[in-house]
Amino acid sequence: MFPTEHFLYLGALLFSSGLIVVIVKKNMIMVLLGIELMLNASNLNLVAFNQLHPGSVAGQMFALFVIIVAVCEAAVGLAIIIQVYRYYQTSVPDEVSELNG
Amino acid sequence: MEDIQSYEATYFTTCLVAAVALPLISFFLSFAISEKYSWIVSFSAPFLLLLSTVAAGFVFYAVWNHEPVNIQWHWFTCAGYTFTAGVLLNNIAALMLLLVTFISFIVHSYSTAYMAGDPDFRQYFAMLGFFTFSMLGIVVVDNLLLIFIFWELVGFSSYMLIGHWREKPEAAEAAKRAFLINRAGDIGFLIGLMILWANTGSFNLTDIDSLSGYSSWMTAASLCVFCGVMGKSAQFPLFSWLPDAMEGPTPVSALIHAATMVAAGIFLLARVYSLFTPPALDVVIIIGTLTALAGALSALVQFDLKKILAYSTISQLGLMVVAIGAGAPQAAMLHLFTHAFFKACLFLGAGSVIHSLHQAQHQSNTALDVQDIRNLGGLQKKLPFTFIIFLLSGAALAGVPLFTGFLSKDAILNSLMAWKGSDLSWRWLIFASAFLVSFITVLYTFRLIWSVFKGEEKVTASLSIEEPPVAMRVPMAILAATSCWLFVSWNPFDFSGWIYNGLTSVKHFHFTFIALVSAAWIVVALIVAYRIRERSFKSAVLLNGFYLDRVYRWLIESPAFQLALFTNKVDKKWIDGVLHTSAYLQLIAAHVTGWFDRVLVDGAVDGAAGLTKGIGSFARSFQSGKIQLYIFWAVFTIIIFIIWTLL
Amino acid sequence: MQDIALSLLLFTPLLVAFVVLFLPSTAATAFRYLTLAVNFLQVIILLIILRAYDPALALQFVEQQPWITLDLGSWGVLKAEYFLGLDGLSLPLVILSVFVMLIATISSWKIAKNVKGYFALLLILNAAIIGSFTALDFLLFYLFFEFMLLPMFFLIALWGGPKREYASIKFFLYTLLGSIFILIVMIGLYTSVHDPSVTGKLVHSFNVLHMSNATNFISNSILDPNNVWQIGWYTARQWGFLLLFVGFAIKLPMVPFHTWLPDAHVEAPTPISVILAALLLKIGGYGLLRIAFPIFPDSAVYFGWFVGLMGVISILYGGLNAMASKDLKRLIAYSSVSHMGFVLLGVASLTSEGVAGSVYQMFSHGIISAMLFLLAGVIYDRTGNRMIGNYSGLSTKMPGFTVFVLVAFFASMGLPGFSGFIAEIMVFLGAFKSNSINGPLHESLAIVATLGLLIGATYYLWTLQRMFFGPYNLKGNLSGAHMPDVNQREYSMLLPLAFVALFFGIYPQPMITIIDPFAKHFAEFVLSAGKSLMLNP
Repeated sequence: MFPTEHFLYLGALLFSSGLIVVIVKKNMIMVLLGIELMLNASNLNLVAFNQLHPGSVAGQMFALFVIIVAVCEAAVGLAIIIQVYRYYQTSVPDEVSELNG
Repeated sequence: MEDIQSYEATYFTTCLVAAVALPLISFFLSFAISEKYSWIVSFSAPFLLLLSTVAAGFVFYAVWNHEPVNIQWHWFTCAGYTFTAGVLLNNIAALMLLLVTFISFIVHSYSTAYMAGDPDFRQYFAMLGFFTFSMLGIVVVDNLLLIFIFWELVGFSSYMLIGHWREKPEAAEAAKRAFLINRAGDIGFLIGLMILWANTGSFNLTDIDSLSGYSSWMTAASLCVFCGVMGKSAQFPLFSWLPDAMEGPTPVSALIHAATMVAAGIFLLARVYSLFTPPALDVVIIIGTLTALAGALSALVQFDLKKILAYSTISQLGLMVVAIGAGAPQAAMLHLFTHAFFKACLFLGAGSVIHSLHQAQHQSNTALDVQDIRNLGGLQKKLPFTFIIFLLSGAALAGVPLFTGFLSKDAILNSLMAWKGSDLSWRWLIFASAFLVSFITVLYTFRLIWSVFKGEEKVTASLSIEEPPVAMRVPMAILAATSCWLFVSWNPFDFSGWIYNGLTSVKHFHFTFIALVSAAWIVVALIVAYRIRERSFKSAVLLNGFYLDRVYRWLIESPAFQLALFTNKVDKKWIDGVLHTSAYLQLIAAHVTGWFDRVLVDGAVDGAAGLTKGIGSFARSFQSGKIQLYIFWAVFTIIIFIIWTLL
Repeated sequence: MQDIALSLLLFTPLLVAFVVLFLPSTAATAFRYLTLAVNFLQVIILLIILRAYDPALALQFVEQQPWITLDLGSWGVLKAEYFLGLDGLSLPLVILSVFVMLIATISSWKIAKNVKGYFALLLILNAAIIGSFTALDFLLFYLFFEFMLLPMFFLIALWGGPKREYASIKFFLYTLLGSIFILIVMIGLYTSVHDPSVTGKLVHSFNVLHMSNATNFISNSILDPNNVWQIGWYTARQWGFLLLFVGFAIKLPMVPFHTWLPDAHVEAPTPISVILAALLLKIGGYGLLRIAFPIFPDSAVYFGWFVGLMGVISILYGGLNAMASKDLKRLIAYSSVSHMGFVLLGVASLTSEGVAGSVYQMFSHGIISAMLFLLAGVIYDRTGNRMIGNYSGLSTKMPGFTVFVLVAFFASMGLPGFSGFIAEIMVFLGAFKSNSINGPLHESLAIVATLGLLIGATYYLWTLQRMFFGPYNLKGNLSGAHMPDVNQREYSMLLPLAFVALFFGIYPQPMITIIDPFAKHFAEFVLSAGKSLMLNP
């Protein structure tokens, strides 16, 4: 059996990659993908920590919830991206700078 | 009885006013007549002057050897003192009145022919009338202030007449000089008036006559008055204007610069004689002697016909002043009287020569200076009448016995004889100088007549010269006739005729041997003059009137002008400079405060605002509107926070 | 009529100026005729005044109305009055003002630029000048005095020559500087003088007549004659006199405060030059005679020699500068400086001849300088050039003009027969006599001043010689300029002036009758009051 740390290392790696993708990528789709990566990293952590409590399945349940939420979120996110694309004719987040103060 | 008296008084006043005012009327008339009818002037002006002369004759008849007449009118009251305008006619004034009107009439008549065709004909007669009026003013008025007024007016009309030919730059220059030098003398006169006013509070001649004793202010006042005389009568340092004044028309020279205006100074001296103290008289006689000598010597070397006469006038005026200084105003007046006639006659004769030659020149179109005696000669045949005129009046000038000049000069020599005393002193020098002057007078008179009328005819030989018209000859003839001794006294060797006796009540000293010596002296001079007739004297100093013009230029004119330029510079550089500097300083101060305002005061305020703005814009830079950046910052902050909490 | 004559004289132009403002600016002819009508109306009023004027009485046509009364509690009461009056000093100057303003209006006939503004300003100026000459309340006088500046400034700055901005600002600043000095003294006097007619209450009065009486000074006030404390070298009263003197001397103008005059004259249009020379300069002399000398007689006696000396310096310095001037108007301007020096000399003599001569000189200079500037204007109208060196032999082309120039030049150099002579001779007699009646002037001042006559003759005759005699020739870029002789309009201005100058030169009695009582009283009062205040303050 793999020690928990290894999962945590993988989760942290995945989370970091996702975060970097979210911050760095020029395409909103890719940003969504980054978010998915981060969600999955947390799923991995949830599942990994559940391993420490063999009698409980709360971790897996949370993971399942997250997957569902992630699907919904992806759907909403994509819808927003399409709307944004329609409105601004771009899917690059930098070019949508309405909030610039 | 009273009626008759008042009738006589009215008659007298009318005559007097007529004599004085008619020339003034002539002045206005000549101005008023339009250019088209200017020929009227040539009749009206002499006619008015004739009337004036006749009126003056009546006045003279009424006054001569009677009580002096003093009529006063109120002029204006100021400072509690009434300035009166009055007339004071005594023998001197009456004689002068007649003299001026008569010679003026003669010159007016002469001028109608001489000035015919002149474009400013009317103006000429107007000014001549005005001159006569002002001159008569000097003669009749009874106080020094009025004399001063007419004195200046005479100077003004002299200015206008010398500068009559206005296109000639020399005439304008000469006129200016004459007026300025006269004015310089007049300033002395004015100071004299001030001294008199401060000390006596009166200008009346009668008050001056009643002054007694000698005080220093009287000396000062009389010398100041004498300054005016020096200007007007062309005495020693102030005589250079008179030769220059010959730029004017010749009849003007005859009237103003020989017979009347220059004599006004002598007249004034005689009029205020009682103001003069012995020291003042000494100054007067020295100046007179210098003038007489300088004039005579200069006359000897001149080449210009009119300038010879001008210098001779200066010399004769000097003699008159000498007579005043010697305490014999009556002798001076006698000489003034005779001189006025013969010198006017000489000038008119010179005018006749000039006129005839000019006419001839116009016909033959030759250019030649007709006034230069080196160009003249042998005119006796062509101008016999003028020659005789010259001869008669020249003889009078030279003081040849049987002519008036001899008698009047004799009167002066007599007064000097009495004045010099018996002890040997500097006074003998003056006495000798007078003899010397009369000697030189003969020389230059002879030289003048000889070189114009005798000898070879030179440049003029080819010209057809004619005698001037009758209108010029008659006046000359009348004047020449007055050169006869009978005019002054019955006895050709005794000057104390009707005029002399009329002028003085004092028993005169008559040294008969002086008359004889003088006559012999003249004869000697004539012989000498004949012997040296071909010799010409050359002296640049004398020719240029002792370079007095140049001296004035060096000593007064150019320093004054330099001073004027200097004051102009002071104005521009210093006064305006200070002004501009202060304006600039103010401007600089304004700029400094402006800078202070901008940089320090505004700087502090702007700094505070700028700081806020900087902070703001720094904070603003986070709100870039870029979602990813927000996320980055959020994450970054969380990381920082975590690190901070953990450490 | 007696009670309102001066107000009529004063307010008619103001009223018409007000009316003019509401007329359309296209009615150019209407402005000219309106102004002319005002001038003629003033002449009529003046004639009525002259008929009723009695030279034997001191102050006449008095109008005294309360104007500003402020109760300041423990500070006393501030009381300024609308106080006008005529006496032997103001009447000649009022006559001069009315006459010269009439001439100036005729001379302004050809002004084409902004006619409405021009004539409105001219009318305001008219009122201010008359006001200054008649006001007897210091505050009122000061009001008019300052009021004059503004129209003058605009008249030069808007209708002047090429360097008009410089000239007008210089004029304005110079005069303003003088006004500040006067203002200081006015405030000092206000705090020191009380109205003796009111008892029980301290009333500070601006009345000049009250100020002239030494008993009206509040004891221990700053300008009280008994006050002995000194500020620097002099007592407060002496400083007061000096400040007033400088203030008025700038206006006069006296050397070395004169440099605004040539510039202002050269740049001003002809009618304004005429007003400036003929009237504005006189306010300086008027101020000295009305205010500075009677209020501070002790200091006047103390500084009399200094005033006389400055007068003599002005006479000579102005004359020399005129000699060096190349511009005809500049020459005339400097001759004004020279002639106003006679006013100083005459006033300082404190003799009745001298003072009468001063007032006479102010009148006569007003007439003659007006004529001179008009003549310079005639030349300038023809060619637009005033340089003396550019002309020669004008007498052949313009004989009528030459006659007027001769008259004006000889009048200005003090030829007998013109009014200037009478004035100058009286000034000389007074100045010379001053020492012998214990006046402040030494004889030598009068003697040195006579040199001014010679200098005057020199520059005028030299100008005549250069411009009018010799062969006809125009130099510079003027050759071919058309030089017509004096026209009818110009005759209508020059003839009356020449006539007046001549009349008052030959028969001065009418004017002397008016001036003499004032001069006599002034000289006696200042000399005796001054001496007594100096001996036992």
